[in-house]
Amino acid sequence: MSDMWINMGPQHPMTHGLWNLRVHIDGEMILGVDPEMGYLHRGIEKISEDRHYNEVITLMDRTCYVAGMAWEHLYIQAAEKALGLEPPERAEWIRMMSEEFQRLASHIMWYAAFVQDLGLMSPFLYGMRDRDLILDLFQSYTGGRLTYEYMRVGGVRNDLPVGFNDRARKVLDWLEPRLVEYDRLCMGSDIFRRRCDDLGILKAADCVKHGVTGPMLRSAGSKRDIRKDRPYSRYAQVDFDVATAESADVTGRYLVRMEEMRQSIRILRQTLDWLDHHPGPVLADRLPRWLGAPYAPIGREAYLLKRNYPKGIGLSAIEEPHGEACAYVVNEGGEHPYRVKFRSPVFANLSAASQYLVGYHVADIPPIMGSVDVCVGEVDR
Amino acid sequence: MAVTTLWDVAYFLSSGLLGVLAHILPPLAWLLTNPNLVWLLSALLFGAILLGASMINTIMLIWFERKMLGRFMDRRGAMHVGYAGLLQNFADGLKLFRKNTFKPREADDLGFYGGPTAYMVTSLLMFGVLPISSGWSDGALPLSMLLALVIFSFAPLFIFISAWSSNNKYSLMGGMRSAAQMIAYEVPILLAVVAVVLVAGTFDLNQIVLEQQNYWFWGPLFLALLVFSIGMLAEMERIPFDLPEAEAELVEGWNTEYGGMLFAFFMLADYLRALAGSILIVLLFLGGWTLPTYVPAVATSLPLAGIIWFMVKTYLVFGVFVWIRAALPRVRTDQLLRIGWMRLIPLSLVAVVLAAALVLVKCLPVFGCVPSMGG
Repeated sequence: MSDMWINMGPQHPMTHGLWNLRVHIDGEMILGVDPEMGYLHRGIEKISEDRHYNEVITLMDRTCYVAGMAWEHLYIQAAEKALGLEPPERAEWIRMMSEEFQRLASHIMWYAAFVQDLGLMSPFLYGMRDRDLILDLFQSYTGGRLTYEYMRVGGVRNDLPVGFNDRARKVLDWLEPRLVEYDRLCMGSDIFRRRCDDLGILKAADCVKHGVTGPMLRSAGSKRDIRKDRPYSRYAQVDFDVATAESADVTGRYLVRMEEMRQSIRILRQTLDWLDHHPGPVLADRLPRWLGAPYAPIGREAYLLKRNYPKGIGLSAIEEPHGEACAYVVNEGGEHPYRVKFRSPVFANLSAASQYLVGYHVADIPPIMGSVDVCVGEVDR
Repeated sequence: MAVTTLWDVAYFLSSGLLGVLAHILPPLAWLLTNPNLVWLLSALLFGAILLGASMINTIMLIWFERKMLGRFMDRRGAMHVGYAGLLQNFADGLKLFRKNTFKPREADDLGFYGGPTAYMVTSLLMFGVLPISSGWSDGALPLSMLLALVIFSFAPLFIFISAWSSNNKYSLMGGMRSAAQMIAYEVPILLAVVAVVLVAGTFDLNQIVLEQQNYWFWGPLFLALLVFSIGMLAEMERIPFDLPEAEAELVEGWNTEYGGMLFAFFMLADYLRALAGSILIVLLFLGGWTLPTYVPAVATSLPLAGIIWFMVKTYLVFGVFVWIRAALPRVRTDQLLRIGWMRLIPLSLVAVVLAAALVLVKCLPVFGCVPSMGG
């Protein structure tokens, strides 16, 4: 068989979303790849310019559909900086808790999809089963399981329900031994190690060159984690380690994510302890009326607002489950953001595909792309 | 006690049926009592019984796998159609049957339709030579095991034909993987069978089972059993060796372009082959329909006890395959071929040597002396 191009996508089991990986193959060997994104572009950044600050949150849940909370957090931080608002202390901790729960849910989802790509069927359902418990928690305090619309400019929508902390602890107690089980199913399997070791190698220097961040970068030995390097929210007040690995391959990325889940549980326990003892308001009380109000101001009120409200620029970066995400919100006065721009970590990780795919087999594409943890929603936005 | 064979049953049914017809329609009695016609009808009935038995067993096998996989995955499997989902597969089959069969425009007609049909037919053909109980096909075929393996090895040809004629790159890659894999694993399977033949001294599956009345072959021929089982796993294209239809990278491998009833053909034939593989393992290594002597005689004297025990063993063997499927990831093409050529073939050669040594010694302290060894 001479060399040929095959399209893996836009609808292909490997893609986990809607994108196209054009692969140039010779027999089973990969000669070159050409990732094509844009099939899921919804113009979220442009739509945001026509929405109130709080209405953009709805779009954030849909930006990355497995890490909605993280993207809400990202946007809210930038929006608050742009508007010059400060959330109450308790709201910050609740946000941090939400983000860590989201990281757990996202990593479990990644685990489930990744092992499914390798042909391991049972852990897929174990992962979905355990992720459901976290979604139940989300449902108990936000009402949503996937699209929460929970955070608000100046805090969060509502406080945690009665008994939430104990339920959350129970979930963590259940999850911790499950992580050991996950590990045993994968690292204990010889076939798994043979499939994943020395596969899809991307060294730290190449990661930096191509803007690859997150678990992929940390699996190459780098200790870069925004939660540690430039602590946002209340990450400076909790105790956790940055998960790293040295091998820079698929196994390394697997190990990093597994360790991150354990660290997330550690952070969550501390956060829940804090929340136990610090009741308080969760939404800033001196919000401009139009930020709290469900309707748009009209007429003279809107005019005054536009003239009087302080202008500003908000920039925030968080360690999203997939990597480093960044939001940029420009407030030119008025009820809508003037410009909203996001940096998607997966977009950069995916764009470097030719760096870590060429030279391997066609059968290696699913595990390698699985280890990247693609979320097309945030790639195309 | 004379054993009632399946042919006797078919002949009895056929002559009875024609006799009743001749009684109702006296003018046609000269035709209906013609021994050739009776023979023809009993041959058809024989085939129909085999077809029905193998099909029903296959569908039950799928149900068994779905339920067992469900339990492995912390869920319950099919639940809604019939008791505990027993009829779910019939419903699925009906759905596939009602679907429109379509063919890609550039696909080759003969290969596209002929491939699955031939694959299905050869898979079904195998059940004609596999004895399920002492009376199934008694002494009819002195080389029945060889014939079964020959029919078993037709598959890569037809898979490759249907994959190639689909005119799809994924299908082609899946077909090539399938052909490479099946041919690679054919060799160790045959060598493992040689070990069995050396010890049993016959190619007749009936005789091989009878040889195992005193001791089953899995003990002395454990290495051969291991090689044979792994090879069968690859021949059945089940996880961890399901690369030809690795859905993560090849969509659905060689049956990507097939839908509706043609797809159902492939699925059914796959499970027919899985059933045949499990049956072969039971026949060659696990004593077929016989039971160890310490089992109370009442267990073996029940009506149809042979068939029942045989099916229990078959389903247990298949259960092990399901277990493997639930627990292991898929290997890569080059790893698969390396396992086949570099590990299994030497192992199977060792198994043959061990079997030859067993025949020379004629006696194995652990398993007791073998009465008929060495002819």
